[in-house]
Amino acid sequence: MKNIRSLVYFRRVSQILFLLLFLFLLMETRLPQNVFLDYSQEIAGSKDIRLNYPVTFFFDMDPLIWLSTTFSTHKWLAGAGWALAIIGLTLFLGRFFCSFVCPFGTLHHAIGSVHPAVKGKQAISRNEKTPAQRLKYGLLLMVLASALFGLNLAGFLDPIALLFRSLSVSILPAVNIGIKEVFDAMAASDIKILNLFSYTAEIIVSPVLGFGYPTYQTGFVIGLIVLALLFLNRIRPRFWCRVLCPLGALLGLLSFKSPLSLEKDESRCTNCNKCMAACQGAASPRPGLKWEPAECVRCFNCQNVCPEDALSFRFIRQQALKQTPDMGRRAVLTGLTAGIAFPLLSRLDGQIHQASDPRLIRPPGSLTETRFLERCQRCGLCMKACPTNVIQPALGEAGIAGIWTPVLSMSTGYCEYSCTLCGSVCPTGAIQLITGKEKIAGPIRIGSAFVDRGRCLPWTENGACIVCEEVCPTSPKAVVFREADVAGFGTERLRMKQPYVNLRQCVGCGICQNKCPVKGTPAIRVIASGESRSPKNQILLIS
Amino acid sequence: MNTNSLLISRRQFIRLAGGAVLYCLVPTPFSGIAAEAGNGFIAEASSSKNPCDVRALTRKLFESAGGMSRFISKGDVVVIKPNFSWARSPDLGATTHPDVLETVIFLCQEAGAKKVRIADNTIHEARNCFAVTGADQVAKKTGADLVYPLSNLMRDMNLQGHRLNVWPVFTPFKEADKIINLPVAKVHGLSGVTLGMKSWIGAVGGRRNALHQDIHQSIVDLAQFFRPTITLIDAIRIMTANGPSGGSASDVAVANRLILSDDPVAADARACDLFQIQPSAIAHIQLAQKWGLGTTDFSKLNRFQATL
Repeated sequence: MKNIRSLVYFRRVSQILFLLLFLFLLMETRLPQNVFLDYSQEIAGSKDIRLNYPVTFFFDMDPLIWLSTTFSTHKWLAGAGWALAIIGLTLFLGRFFCSFVCPFGTLHHAIGSVHPAVKGKQAISRNEKTPAQRLKYGLLLMVLASALFGLNLAGFLDPIALLFRSLSVSILPAVNIGIKEVFDAMAASDIKILNLFSYTAEIIVSPVLGFGYPTYQTGFVIGLIVLALLFLNRIRPRFWCRVLCPLGALLGLLSFKSPLSLEKDESRCTNCNKCMAACQGAASPRPGLKWEPAECVRCFNCQNVCPEDALSFRFIRQQALKQTPDMGRRAVLTGLTAGIAFPLLSRLDGQIHQASDPRLIRPPGSLTETRFLERCQRCGLCMKACPTNVIQPALGEAGIAGIWTPVLSMSTGYCEYSCTLCGSVCPTGAIQLITGKEKIAGPIRIGSAFVDRGRCLPWTENGACIVCEEVCPTSPKAVVFREADVAGFGTERLRMKQPYVNLRQCVGCGICQNKCPVKGTPAIRVIASGESRSPKNQILLIS
Repeated sequence: MNTNSLLISRRQFIRLAGGAVLYCLVPTPFSGIAAEAGNGFIAEASSSKNPCDVRALTRKLFESAGGMSRFISKGDVVVIKPNFSWARSPDLGATTHPDVLETVIFLCQEAGAKKVRIADNTIHEARNCFAVTGADQVAKKTGADLVYPLSNLMRDMNLQGHRLNVWPVFTPFKEADKIINLPVAKVHGLSGVTLGMKSWIGAVGGRRNALHQDIHQSIVDLAQFFRPTITLIDAIRIMTANGPSGGSASDVAVANRLILSDDPVAADARACDLFQIQPSAIAHIQLAQKWGLGTTDFSKLNRFQATL
């Protein structure tokens, strides 16, 4: 079977291409730098800025995201074709996704094999199947059961969402900080050539890493987790794929009857164990052991390394040689229990049934909180795409159930009045696709602003200001002012314009809070109340 | 601000220490042609047609004032300061009309400018602004450089104003041979109007939202620092309400006028007429005249008129 040895090279090419595609789409998840809207045709909000590439591609073909969202919403997710195609191919070929497509799998594969931590006999023993590999089935059942009860946890563990989130809100922004600090130091230098170099370098780097210094709260933790997961390859190669990945578990369950099977020729085997040392999935490839089709990631290493040609992948139906998926009763029970408990326990913070947190400001077009948590994958696409860096991974704002879901922090950015980029990149529709026209005409409110008279400069008679009025984007303006004669702190009386907010006009975009000169706790702040998406969380009788 | 003043003093130290080579590389300060009393001019163009041919009107205006070659020499690096502060489409009148900008760039190129740059430190996110206002498209069509307000293009400089001292300045303006100020005429909640001189807030970085605490003095401080070769006020569409961001077609009036002057004060004073405001009612115009930045007395200026 020498002729299919080239499968390993084909696999490597496929892995590299899909990893590059993933990184390319990640990079393109941003406001394009040169958007040429034809201004002569343009009337207010009639055209929306959209991305040039289908950046949700990897999410669209992720069966776990599709299945968990179908479970949680009880709806057929639009654009499920790719995911169904992957499922169909998996039924036929097995877990090929893990070895040919998955970019996170590729990273693990590369770390584990380019510079392996263990060699020789140790490598053979580390690649033996362990009971710990049952854990992933437990996690899969937890994700699916909790999805049925209305909480979609898939995004925490799904490799696509996990990798996208880790790169876009943690690793790349951290790299960016390192690079930009050097550029800024060069720009501040008195040597002209360094200034020019700094500007040119920034022009090249910024489209990839973001303009300025994009920052994300909890980015430290997100980065630490992914680094720890990659480090686990030092203990066992592809630790994540074997033990933790719920998508791998799902594909494993789908693949145990796949016709593409490993045929073992015991008469040729010399027990050299080369197949065991090379096995990526800990799937017992050595003749004499029962092959584990649910654990096998179809990397084709075993047949490639076998010096005796004792191993070959063929389209056969020999159930005797196969092990049924080893899920383990305890893992199943634990997973199901957790899956039922988490959605219920997570509602104890009251975010859904009682009052919502004033900081829980969702991106424009977001569904109501219950529907939102059914869909959100915490993948960070909206956070990466947002041009003002206002969308942040939640820490406590959305309760325990909403960790890393997108919330708006007006201290890092503001919601651009006509921008609807976040909804256009959301892979599951937790943020609905809206047009700029709909956003303005609705209006789609994300919250309400209030002036803090104890801090505001004109109200505290400390000086003129009205920056909030100047930047307010609605027409007529939601921030208005009244004129008052105040004593101030000097000798003469001052005529002061004191701002206040017309809630019927305010959309909660937060640019007033973002631009307020009172830093730290600004003198005008946005709270979530009044948001269009929630009929309960309203302030006015008629708005 | 302590660190900033340290920076400046260090540069001075390098100069004193004989860093002559370095000093030669530091660009020369602004060399705009400040209007001297009696020598200045003000040109106006208007059209009674609606919609009017904005490109033709702009060309006519410059012809009446003696042509662009009066202001731009061969080999000049020209930096144009439009007002693209807001991510609003051109029909909302919050930003400079792209056709005016385009024509001015072409005129500069025809006059032999080596390089034309468009620079503005916007209020809304710059990429959004440049896309929606048409700036990107104009830059693409004309081949002018659109300079993004990146942090490493802001350099601390001493504005030597009454209110403002060390402040980050958007460097393209520092490195220009000629500067053209190309604002759009709008009303403003605090400063009354936002015309040419106020537009210089978009040429600095830093804590711009604090400038409002003494807005008129801040505007004049910036206006004495940034001396444009010419100011061209775009009053094709003017914002008469809800300024300076607007957002609705009802905030906009069509005036089909352009005002060009080498006197920044006169240009602003003339544009007050668009809103039926007396120049004497706008504190920063009065203050600028007092400081000798220009005049509001049009009889001291050569006047040109063009119609289409």
